[in-house]
Amino acid sequence: MKYVSLMIGLALAVGVFLTSAPDAPEPGPAAGVEEPPVAVCAIEEGSGRTTEVVILSTVNGPTRLTLFASGESAGSISQPTGASGSVMIPVVDVAAVGTVGGLVELPISSSAAGVIVTGAESMSAESCADVPTRQSFISGASTIGGHAFELHLMNPYAGQAVVELVVRSDAGIESNDRFESVVVPARSSTVVDFTELIPGRETLSITVETVKGSVIAVGRQSIDDESAVWNAVEGSQDWFLPIPAGGGSKRLLIATPSEVEVEYQIDYYGPEGLEEVYAEGTLSPRGQDSFDLAAITEEAAGVRVISTGPVVPTLWINSDSGLGITTASAVEAARWFLPGAGAIVGGRASVVILSVGIDEAVVSVRSLRAGSLVRAINLPADSVVEIALETADGYLIESTGPIVAMWVTRRVGAGIAAMGVPILDG
Amino acid sequence: MAPRMTDAPTPRAAETPSTENLSTSPVVKVLLTTVDGADLAAALGTVGRQVYDPIPDVVVVGGESGETPDGVTTADSLEEAITGAGDDIDYLWILHSDARPRPDALGALVAEVELAAAALGGSKLLVAGTGEELESVGGSTDVFGEPHSGLDEGEIDLQQYDVVREVAFVRSASMLVRRDLAQGLRGLDELLPPIAAGLDFSQRARLAGGRVISVPSSEVYHQGRCNEHGHGWREQAGRLRAMVTAYSPLTLLWLIPYDFIVSVLDSLMSLILLRWRPAARYLFSWGWNAYHLPSTIGLRRRFRPVRVLGDEELFRFQARGSVRLRDVGAELAVRILSMFDEDQAIARGTRRVWGSSGIWGAAITVLVLVFAMRSLIFLGVPNVGASFPFEEAATSLDRWFAGWNDSGLGSSAPVHPSVGVTGLWSWLWLGAEGAARTLLTIAFGLLAVVGMGRLAGRLGYRGPGRYLSGLVLLAGPGTAILVGSGSWLALAAAATLPWAVRSVFVHPDEVGRGRLSHIGWAVLLGIPLAAFSPLLVIVPLLSVIVWKVSGGKDSSIGLTLVGLLGAVVAAPFILGDTGWILDSHRRLGLSVAELWPVLLAVAFVPLVFIDSKTRRLGTLGAVLGLSGLLAVGLGNGGPGVEEAALVLASFGTALIVATGLDVVSSNPRRLIGALVSVIILFLSIGILGNGRLGLPGGDFNERIEFASALAGDAGPGRILVASTQRDDIPGEARPGPGFWYRLVDGRGMTSDEVWLPSPLPGDHELDTALERISSGGELRPGILLAPFAIDWLILLGPTFRLDEVFVAQLDLVPTPFDPDSRVFANPGSAPLADSGTESAWLRSGTGFVGEPGSGRVSLAMNYDDGWSPEPGPHEWRATVSAVGGVAGFRGTTQNLVFAVSTAALLLVSLGLLFIARRRR
Repeated sequence: MKYVSLMIGLALAVGVFLTSAPDAPEPGPAAGVEEPPVAVCAIEEGSGRTTEVVILSTVNGPTRLTLFASGESAGSISQPTGASGSVMIPVVDVAAVGTVGGLVELPISSSAAGVIVTGAESMSAESCADVPTRQSFISGASTIGGHAFELHLMNPYAGQAVVELVVRSDAGIESNDRFESVVVPARSSTVVDFTELIPGRETLSITVETVKGSVIAVGRQSIDDESAVWNAVEGSQDWFLPIPAGGGSKRLLIATPSEVEVEYQIDYYGPEGLEEVYAEGTLSPRGQDSFDLAAITEEAAGVRVISTGPVVPTLWINSDSGLGITTASAVEAARWFLPGAGAIVGGRASVVILSVGIDEAVVSVRSLRAGSLVRAINLPADSVVEIALETADGYLIESTGPIVAMWVTRRVGAGIAAMGVPILDG
Repeated sequence: MAPRMTDAPTPRAAETPSTENLSTSPVVKVLLTTVDGADLAAALGTVGRQVYDPIPDVVVVGGESGETPDGVTTADSLEEAITGAGDDIDYLWILHSDARPRPDALGALVAEVELAAAALGGSKLLVAGTGEELESVGGSTDVFGEPHSGLDEGEIDLQQYDVVREVAFVRSASMLVRRDLAQGLRGLDELLPPIAAGLDFSQRARLAGGRVISVPSSEVYHQGRCNEHGHGWREQAGRLRAMVTAYSPLTLLWLIPYDFIVSVLDSLMSLILLRWRPAARYLFSWGWNAYHLPSTIGLRRRFRPVRVLGDEELFRFQARGSVRLRDVGAELAVRILSMFDEDQAIARGTRRVWGSSGIWGAAITVLVLVFAMRSLIFLGVPNVGASFPFEEAATSLDRWFAGWNDSGLGSSAPVHPSVGVTGLWSWLWLGAEGAARTLLTIAFGLLAVVGMGRLAGRLGYRGPGRYLSGLVLLAGPGTAILVGSGSWLALAAAATLPWAVRSVFVHPDEVGRGRLSHIGWAVLLGIPLAAFSPLLVIVPLLSVIVWKVSGGKDSSIGLTLVGLLGAVVAAPFILGDTGWILDSHRRLGLSVAELWPVLLAVAFVPLVFIDSKTRRLGTLGAVLGLSGLLAVGLGNGGPGVEEAALVLASFGTALIVATGLDVVSSNPRRLIGALVSVIILFLSIGILGNGRLGLPGGDFNERIEFASALAGDAGPGRILVASTQRDDIPGEARPGPGFWYRLVDGRGMTSDEVWLPSPLPGDHELDTALERISSGGELRPGILLAPFAIDWLILLGPTFRLDEVFVAQLDLVPTPFDPDSRVFANPGSAPLADSGTESAWLRSGTGFVGEPGSGRVSLAMNYDDGWSPEPGPHEWRATVSAVGGVAGFRGTTQNLVFAVSTAALLLVSLGLLFIARRRR
């Protein structure tokens, strides 16, 4: 019995020792990531200006615009996109507000929204932002004499947000406690008026670091009676920018939010085709370079900017046809929405399409409105074309190859330049 | 020695005093009070044989005139008999008819009373039929009149008390009183039973200026038919009446409240000793006195003219404090000490106490245990992990008796069996759930230690290891990680297991005796063991099998089978949630360090080679402990298996430590065994250093107090708690998409909520909603969660997907209530019970109450047709008619039958123990 006990005991001990510990239980697999089909728009009402929100979609589905201010909903309206896949909502029909944010709930992800702000002497347009990022960057602003710039920070969500602004101007990094821990309350907007805080700066680039919550930033530049609106975006290393035809001041600004030097190269899509490494250079930390595009050609063109760190190229146009500012596109796509293109009465709208594929593309331009029209063109590889647009709520550009599309509208003394919205999920 | 009353009564002419002497003796009249069942003729016979002259007249009090012989008169009452005594009578001898005085008893009484110039003398009472057992030699009382004879139970008369002395009172079975005093006092209070009557009369006699003495030379055999044992409620009531009659108003002013407090304390302490009668006696006593208060006041008035002395005269003969409290306190202390002092070392005297190594072990263990429970004693039990407050007693019991299981989104599945035990325990503590929980937890610590000591003692071990091993049971390899994860029930199971195992090992002295008692204990201990950790109920059986195979005796397979009946308490829970036993995905995933099997083996090997007794217990410990560790490591089975295996591992380890430390000697084998056992002991007790018996600290309910504070009229709803860390979730958790989660009651989590029943349609809906929310595709997650009555969301641990998602959503409001978590309010949440009107329906027990109406009330509970009235489903939710203003639930008959069966089994086991005790 003595040895039997011993053997049993030892056998059990060896058994335990050799048994590996069971795996700790794990929760279920993570759910697939989806983004809610929403867009956040900068709304400006009053002072002779009014905003219209344009919603485009590949389906006839419900949409909802909610204006948010002071922590609550200032007004809300639901409308379907209809058979044309487009709807235009004048904000004045929703609520009487000032400078606020608007949350657009889209029917599906293959949708887009944009705003058109028109005044007696001015007009501006920009697509509504979709995904807020932890860090966004905006450049091309100015507060020298006659120039006014304000940053519109929007938080449509239920939680309070806090951002830090890193402002770089021709005077260097700006120090101001108003740039630190800027609170954007839930369902509210905060407007930072740089003209008042740091007047007399020729160039401004602003990094918006979101410390808490979620914020969408939009820049609003005014020069005399003209104005332009463009989104702050996340820095990237590969950008495409179609450039509309025309003269005047037409500049390409390349700026970086990086705290280290960034090298870049510019490939140029001109009338002669693609010219790689058309220019190259190095950006100092948080620095920027500027190129005079009008000096190269007044015809439609395009550029591709490739860099070793995050940069944001911005197109800055100030001509007889008015002021237009927009950022380049970090993606190429076969389908693009142009919300608001052709929607301004009395304006001459056109779309600038840059083909970045290696083959010729067949491009169809579809107006979204009742009685839709479609035009088709062949676009050689590495070429740019500008096509005049008819009146519509917006346009859907479809191509057999990768393209980048932006739209412009000109009228006497006022102009718009706005990058299109790529449709990425088929 | 002088002849006793048991001797044949024979005339003793030689002892008859001379005529001259008798002529000077006081004249005595005998008042023989009849007692039911006593032989009056025999009593008259013994009186007739008294050697006293002049021969006393005899009056039978309360007897029928036809029963008395010629020459003996009768009186209806004692007062009448006393009043009827003429002035020629010097003394009255009040004698019960169940008393048998020795022939010289009266003479001795008269002589000593005369000599001491006393007013009242009492005989020495001996228990008739026992030879020389003392019943009374007069006595003292405490201030409440509680008699204190100073005699031990069964004490033999060796003339040790044979001295005439003043006493507080003498018994009325045989007392000699001066006729004039008796007439002044109007005799005994006939409402009072014998002892109280004697006390009352003695006190009044003393206050009237008379001396009260005990006359040991006057011996009387007392049959006790008058029921003079003094423990009945009438005696107690009589003492209270005697007190009120005798004391001055000033004394009564403090004495009556004092007596009331003593009554309450005595009742409570008696309840700890499982005696309910004292409380009942007090209740009857106070009621009886309230009823008879007018006559008591009348007595006081009648006594006032006779009184010549103050209360101080009574205090002179009274013991300090309360005799009752002293007695019950002493018994309680003995009981507690006897738990550790099986060898009666303490009882044998302090000089030899420290010679017992078992006492050393017990003393060290108690010190460590007190240190290990300091936080529990001063701060209470933490609310964290799987340790949460008991629910209200009535609600817990209702849930246990097939009521609604409110955990998660609710279920008709039975609650964990421990809910019934905690409900019953809270009920016994008159609904003081907090105190009940703390005391029970402290009791677990003590019970585990004492249980191991008693188990090892029953198996023949007396060394220091048997109590020290209790610490290993509490904090050994398995229980340490279980308790460390917050399992309060691991403590409960550890405390119960050694007792249940002990119940199936029969002490060699008791083999063949007390079978009912053994069965009763086996069942009674099997019930809580199965309630706390159902699968452990088979451990006594395993222990006996291993013990017998190892050649051990004195254990009973039959008792283990009887003990298995206790498993009925867990049957509904296990049948209602088989996943708790079978689903390995629900395990906590606890694992034991690889060092432990090595330590157990190293400790076990030398024990094998010592002697058969040591080898046997070592084998039992090794087999159980290593089997437990093996079961943990294999990872099969659900959390129930995991829990039982871990506790079993600690139990086996504790047995090895008990064996290893039983005898510490220079024998190399014993030395190695002891050394490794000490290492195991030290490795174990480290976790006890936190002062909470190893339970983690914190108070989850305090963290969610905001939910109640900010709740609307409908009361707090539910809280969704989520984290990627399983340990962060209180109680059982469900696996969500990339994180763990569960719902808790917004009022604070209670112990019944720890276990989540099997998922029902509502739970699947919630899972789907959370999947959608965590994907980021939902802009308004609050709306999705509203039907589940989720008022709040709390994200714990490191930030995860939900944190990202909730940054960009519209209706969950981040609220900085807790710096250690992320809290979101859901303002759009639906109430738990939605009547569709402004009138709120609120929780009431396991159901809801509200304003009656003609509509229906939607309950955010999984639908079950046990809801009433008029249940109906609405999607996954239950709806009921609002007509009665009440919504209730009753589960299946099967669950009810199981619950009732458990209650019946409990009562049967208690009944068996009661019968066994009475027989003993």
